Parts: sequence; structure tokens; C-alpha cells
Amino acid sequence: MLARYGGSCYKFPMKQQVRVSLWEIFKAFFFIGATGFGGGMAIVSLTERYCVHEKKWIGLDEFMHGLAFGQILGPFSLNTSTFVGCYLRGGVGGITAAVGFILPSFCLISLLSWLYFRFHEVPELQSALRGTNPVIIGLILVAAAGMTKAKVKGAGGWSMALIAFAAAAFFKISALTILVLAGLWSLIKAYYLREHA
Amino acid sequence: MAGIVKLAWVFLKIGLIFFGGGYVLIPLLHRIMVDQFHWLTLKEFLDGLALSQLTPGPLAMLATFTGYKAGGLAGALVATVFIFLPCTVLMLAISNRYEKFRNIDLIKNTLDGILPAIVGLVAAAAYSLGKTSLFTARDFVLLVAGFLILQFTRVSPMFVILGAGAVGLVFHF
Repeated sequence: MLARYGGSCYKFPMKQQVRVSLWEIFKAFFFIGATGFGGGMAIVSLTERYCVHEKKWIGLDEFMHGLAFGQILGPFSLNTSTFVGCYLRGGVGGITAAVGFILPSFCLISLLSWLYFRFHEVPELQSALRGTNPVIIGLILVAAAGMTKAKVKGAGGWSMALIAFAAAAFFKISALTILVLAGLWSLIKAYYLREHA
Repeated sequence: MAGIVKLAWVFLKIGLIFFGGGYVLIPLLHRIMVDQFHWLTLKEFLDGLALSQLTPGPLAMLATFTGYKAGGLAGALVATVFIFLPCTVLMLAISNRYEKFRNIDLIKNTLDGILPAIVGLVAAAAYSLGKTSLFTARDFVLLVAGFLILQFTRVSPMFVILGAGAVGLVFHF
């Protein structure tokens, strides 16, 4: 299992690990922001690969909780970055991660906007995207497979995962709704376990 | 100057009601930018949407494009900062309390209980993207190759993604 702090009763779990420098956080999220093609979940898969598996900055549980909270307001890819930065270095870390993450796309979009409003043309990159999209799906699938192996256990876990998948993929129910319902369900279960344990 | 303040205020409001991710944002931005304030024509809006899908980062970077049209580079900066301000503040507030609340058993069990649902959401994103971009046998070959490389080697995803982009450009399929 990867570096995890979940469940331990340290008051400040983040003090247990080497303190990650703000520069390191900025660099990591700048890199993620610059290569995050393909929308929210592709970016999150990239972040998971880098922060959970390569750098071992944050455990998979904590990361996934951040992803869940990130569904509330605004783009969850940015929110997950903010969460990881904040987990590592508090508020300053969160802002560093958010700025690092947005900066490359901000520069690129500003440049492209300038070109666009000058020449009124969108660059012909569609065919390049046709090549990247399948690979990006592969990237998301690698993340999903790893999470499934680590976090989906038993009939209850599999049912919840499959229902959430079907609700999002086939019925277009919003991620926030799905997570709130799953949260209510597991709250009732946790409450029941506590009362009857 | 007044224009910039107005821009900041409009994007702050968008940031505050921006629930549910990028695809909710498209109709919202369209209404505000094209119909209400006439900052963009419909064609410019659609081209801006295409631009933000071509570039890395969240779809909400469409705000940068719109801000640029409405107020130049300063407008782009203001629009970007203010649309992301509410969600960043909210996330910081949640993350700061996360460690503390996680030590409460009931909350910990609830959070751990929803992990399978999150896995389902990640898989659903792959499915949705696949439905709109996997057509030919070559797409599937690239998918399998990408999956195998990323699953079994430590090659940086950046090279894999850029490599696939180059393949797309060269072969024009």
C-alpha cells in the first residue's frame, strides 16, 4: 500500500512527512496544468498519478475525499489541486497549487485570445486532439483501475461503484447529486454500525 | 476602470453560482456573455469554447477568453481570478478543517463509504469521453497502447499525450 496516514490518530498527520516546499508544489501543479488536456477527470488522473503514486505526498483516500469535496462548486480539477496544496502546506500551499495549476492555461489562452481577436482564426489542432483523446481515456482508465483495486471491496462497494457509474454515464446525473446520495447512504450505515456495534 | 470593476463583479457572481463543473458553465456563460452584455458574438463564443477545449486546463478557462475580449489582458486576468475566487475560498475552508473532522469516526466512515462512488464517477468520465472520441480501430489501438504504457511503465503521461498528439497530426485520421 502507498503512503497513507488515514486512520492514524496523529493530530497533525502532515507533520509526519517531509515538508514539501512551496516551490515544489508550484512546479508540480504548473506541470499538471500545462499537460492537463482532456477535461476534469483527465487532469485529476494526472494529479493522482503524480501526487499519490510518484511523490507519495497524499494517500489515495485523502486524495479521493478531496476530489469528492471538489465537486461542490467550480471546476473539480482546480479544487482537487487546491485541496492537495492545502493538505501539504495549509492555505498558502492551497493558493500556490491553484495559481500554479491555472497559470499555464491562463498564459496559453491569453496568447491564443490575442491571436484570435487579431486574425479571427482558431488553430487547426483538431486532428492532434483526435490522437490524444484515446490516450487520455487510457490515463483515466489506469487511475480508475488502481482505485477500483484499492477501494472497491465486497458486494456493497461494487454495487455503489456500478450504480454511481451508471447514474453518471447513462443517466447524466450530476456528480454532486451522486456523491450526496452516496454520502447519505454511508452516513446511515455508519450510524447504524455505531449504534449496533 | 469601471469596465474592469464590472467585469470582476460579473465573474464573481458566475463563480458563486457555478455548481456542477464545466458543462453547466457553457449555457450560463453563453447567456451572460452573448445575450446579456454582448461582450461576444455567438461565433466568437463558439470559437472561444473550441479554444478552451484545445488547451489544457479546465473548461472554465473560457472565462479568460471572454475577459480578454471585454478588457484586454487585464480583463483576462480579472475574469480568471474572480471566477475562481469563490470555489478556491470554499475549498481552502474545507481543506483546513478536513484533518480535524476526519478524526470524528462518523465523518470518517461516511467519507470512506463514498469512495466506491468516486471510482464509479472516474470510470464514467472515461466512458463519456470514449463515446465522443473512439470511432476507428486506430483510436482503440491508441487507447490500448496508452493504457498499457501508463499502467506498466513509469513513462511520464506528458510524453504519452504529446506523442499521441503528434501521431494524430502526422497521420490526420
